[in-house]
Amino acid sequence: MTASPRVTLSRRRFLSLTGALAAGGLALGATGLWPRWARAESALARRLLRLGRDIYPHESIEDRYYLAPLTPLLEARRDEIAAGLDDLDRRARAAHGRDYGEIEGAAEREALLREIQSSDFFQAVRGALVVGLYNTPELWEPHFGYQGSSWEQGGYLNRGYNDLVIDWL
Amino acid sequence: MSTRFSHDDDGVVVIIGSGAGGGTLAHALARKGIKSVVLEAGRRHAMEEIENDEWAMFEKLSWLDERITAGPRQLTETFPNLPAWIVKGVGGSTIHWAGVSLRFQPHEFRMHSEVGDLPGANLLDWPISYAELEPYYVQAERHMGVTGESSGMPLHDWNNNFKVLAEGASRIGYRQLRAGPMAINTRPYDGRASCMQAGFCMQGCRFGAKWSTMYTDIPRAEATGLCEVRPNAMALRIEHNDAGRVNAVVYADGDGNLQRQRARAVCVAGNSIESPRLLLNSHSSLFPDGLANSSGQVGRNYMTHATACVFAEMPKPVNMHRGTTFAGIISDEAGLDRSRGFVGGYTLEVISLGIPFFAKFMDPGQGGWGRDYAGILEKYDHLSGVWICGEDLPMEENGIRLHDRRRDQYGLPVPIVYKGDHPNDEALRRHGQQQARRCYEAVEAVRVFDVPDFPTSHNVGTNRMSARPADGVVNRFGQTHDIDNLFVSDGSQFTSSGAENPTLTIVALALRQADHIAERMTRGEL
Repeated sequence: MTASPRVTLSRRRFLSLTGALAAGGLALGATGLWPRWARAESALARRLLRLGRDIYPHESIEDRYYLAPLTPLLEARRDEIAAGLDDLDRRARAAHGRDYGEIEGAAEREALLREIQSSDFFQAVRGALVVGLYNTPELWEPHFGYQGSSWEQGGYLNRGYNDLVIDWL
Repeated sequence: MSTRFSHDDDGVVVIIGSGAGGGTLAHALARKGIKSVVLEAGRRHAMEEIENDEWAMFEKLSWLDERITAGPRQLTETFPNLPAWIVKGVGGSTIHWAGVSLRFQPHEFRMHSEVGDLPGANLLDWPISYAELEPYYVQAERHMGVTGESSGMPLHDWNNNFKVLAEGASRIGYRQLRAGPMAINTRPYDGRASCMQAGFCMQGCRFGAKWSTMYTDIPRAEATGLCEVRPNAMALRIEHNDAGRVNAVVYADGDGNLQRQRARAVCVAGNSIESPRLLLNSHSSLFPDGLANSSGQVGRNYMTHATACVFAEMPKPVNMHRGTTFAGIISDEAGLDRSRGFVGGYTLEVISLGIPFFAKFMDPGQGGWGRDYAGILEKYDHLSGVWICGEDLPMEENGIRLHDRRRDQYGLPVPIVYKGDHPNDEALRRHGQQQARRCYEAVEAVRVFDVPDFPTSHNVGTNRMSARPADGVVNRFGQTHDIDNLFVSDGSQFTSSGAENPTLTIVALALRQADHIAERMTRGEL
């Protein structure tokens, strides 16, 4: 939908401007299938997915919406991402005796991530997701109640810009 | 559009920048029969390019040339290369501004007289009074189509976001609640359409309901045949003759070729980072510290407003994304009341962001993630937000410096934008956050949370006005103290920041400066 090269570049550009690492961008328009890399390396994809879903947990958002914005990152920096996931598993085994993805408690996983949140690896994944996941138009209205572009429909002048009734007080 | 002036034409005023200052000035001069060439670093945008898409428009509009954020502030960490959120394009930041059009209050022109010396602050009175500027405020309001008395347009109806904030505000005793004044049409005005409440004011108004020089002053100036706008023209250096009068501007055109436009006078309106940068980069043997810098004040006293955001989750959906972005203003705290523990005041302005921006800006730091973070985003449609626009005190060390090694694509030193807070700024911000919280708690918010400062769009003060040449860069008309035919025409003239959004005052000053330039030309002085 907005997967033109220019827009992809823009998000990448923004990430570097904002101090996140020089990776990111989008490849929207997946049709329910995982991206090719994720199908080819499903074990790696599942580990990365667990991480992504812990960074921005939304139960009802499908996996592919997390994987899509991470695809350019994987393509550009696969080894670094794999090494980061390995390091995370090492930390998980030291703290809990099992790999990161095997830790059942979300709070325990989040606590582990807080320890590495300033790492380049973590911020690369977070940066790709914060710009990519939330810029997925098909998620906006059903999941967040955000209605996106409005000018084509004449804005909200006659579609509820002032329809709120404060009836809870 | 078709007017072309020769590079050797020394009868033109060269205006650098096409936003609120430069665009307004070019049009006002043209109506007085004065020829100008406008050098605009960015490109032209067509109305059809304006989308309701936050990231797409960020990329299209923003000034993204390399800059370095510096100073003891969060932006240094979170946006190390994006200190300011302003526009590169024909129309400048009037494409991106949200339309809030408040006049400065009379006492804000004489802050030094009002509060005296404050340690660490470089306070100074403006060399003009409110009374002197008032007629130009009226003129600017009519020119821009500001809702209210001057234009005759009614204020906007309150949108959902403002209803929530205003209900809470009235419950804690605030009384000055208004959905304006805004330079956003509530009925067709000046050949432009009425607002459709589309949201996305800061992505450019697709309907042209919000005033922008992009589709008012610039095309109208061009239509006179007396103004040529050159897009993709990055001013690199202002040149002067042996007598110390400026006589040409060297710029890079869209193909990267250097050009030299001769000039009768030069008006600098490139916003508060680029304007002082250009003056500093124009140093010469006669002016070794840069043009108009005998005071040493060029690039200093950089002010951004003391700001923060407070957002609240309400019990029911608010849908803040519907309607104008800055839909309402609370002015009860705008006055000067030292019993609050700080000088200066602030306005509370309701703000909305779409989910793409909100996810990024709610906490742009390294810790902006996790279950609680996502939990707030899940409640996006229940959110309401307010932005604090507070007086930011001038400090001499806050400002624009040139990097000693790094060069941009034009070979110019990269600007370092240094900003720290005065203790007064911090006290004001805390007060604003606390009062905003009280407003939302009074309307039974489920939770209230602070959101840090964004890259700033209100950049002022770096070529400030002063009565005495030793205290500032320009005089009461924006004319530089040092060079007779060199003017500053943007917000960098501001001597203080006020508690108000700067655009209306920039326009009023530009209209006043146009009168002044025309009078002096008539008298043969310029």
